Amino acid sequence: MYASHQDGGASHFYGGGFMPSQATQTPDQAGSSKTRSSTTSTTVPLTIKQITEAYHLNDERADFLIDGVEPSLVRLLGRVLNKAERVTDVSFLLDDGTGSIEVTRWVSDSFDTDEMTKIENGMYIVLIGKLKAFQGKRHIGAHAVRPVQDFNQITLHFMECIHAHLDNSRKATAVPATTSAMNDMRAYQTLNVGTGASGDIRDVVLSVFQEPASLARENGLHVNEIIRRLGLQEQKIREAIEYHVEVGNIYSTIDDDHYKSACNG
Amino acid sequence: MDTSSPTVFVNGELLKLYMGRRVRTVVQVIRNEGGAVVGQSTDNQQLTVKGPNQSVPVMNFMEVIGVADGPQSIRAEICTDFGSNFDTASYNGLCKLANGQFKNLFL
Repeated sequence: MYASHQDGGASHFYGGGFMPSQATQTPDQAGSSKTRSSTTSTTVPLTIKQITEAYHLNDERADFLIDGVEPSLVRLLGRVLNKAERVTDVSFLLDDGTGSIEVTRWVSDSFDTDEMTKIENGMYIVLIGKLKAFQGKRHIGAHAVRPVQDFNQITLHFMECIHAHLDNSRKATAVPATTSAMNDMRAYQTLNVGTGASGDIRDVVLSVFQEPASLARENGLHVNEIIRRLGLQEQKIREAIEYHVEVGNIYSTIDDDHYKSACNG
Repeated sequence: MDTSSPTVFVNGELLKLYMGRRVRTVVQVIRNEGGAVVGQSTDNQQLTVKGPNQSVPVMNFMEVIGVADGPQSIRAEICTDFGSNFDTASYNGLCKLANGQFKNLFL
């Protein structure tokens, strides 16, 4: 509805940069995506492998993107190793079987110190904290650390990681489908997209590019991020990308591995 | 664990796919046989666990982290007593998911 009202059907023409950016054209969409990431405090259960593979948005702001979500807090579960107690903080290595990451727990009062004295090397713990990066290396600033008492929690945590991953991936690819501005585009696309498995992959790849978060990025998305997000073969994803470049849905930005949607949403 | 190499979640069935690699699983202790523990995996197979830390009581659950050195045997590096209350069905399901559709989150 917004598309036909404001550009008079111009969204049919994929100008690749001639159209005003999505943020100004459809304030509702941009507003809703911003609201989702800035006012909702998300605690995401993650495996350390997901963290090491997370796409790092911006070195100064230390924002990470996992499954299309910028988590404000992460929850991890693993064994404590190399615990080191210092005056103002306690640090240790957390190993959850998928990888390991350094964790720092700042202790400013007796509550914090008491919490940390109970933690010993080799113990299973759950922690909630913030994901940070410093000079390319990722680590966690823990807010809360608790020993695991019922070991079924281990099974539960990893199940929740899988669940959150599925939820976020599904939400991310479903967003473009629900906006009315997309309806014109979808109709146009069904003429071009082939039937069968290759058609589905092209749809899914294109919808990743058309997410508000992707459109907001100046240089678009790296091919590897798409591969990681969708978990599909690189070859198939590159084929889908080539197809979309040919019909004009996406274009390459800073190099052959970065692409951005040419549509304004 | 001293190294940070990923440890695969396995049950009896999956153990044979990861020979020579570091794995983790939970077994219910059936008996101690001089230096080795015989345990029942979450998919009801009998596994032999060799190595230190064999102080888990019989009928309790034990997590084993070690190297798979046989289709039904693990050379343990770390054993942890998981108590007597452990949901084997859920853990079994997790092993299948972590090695199947969601392998990219774990390995």
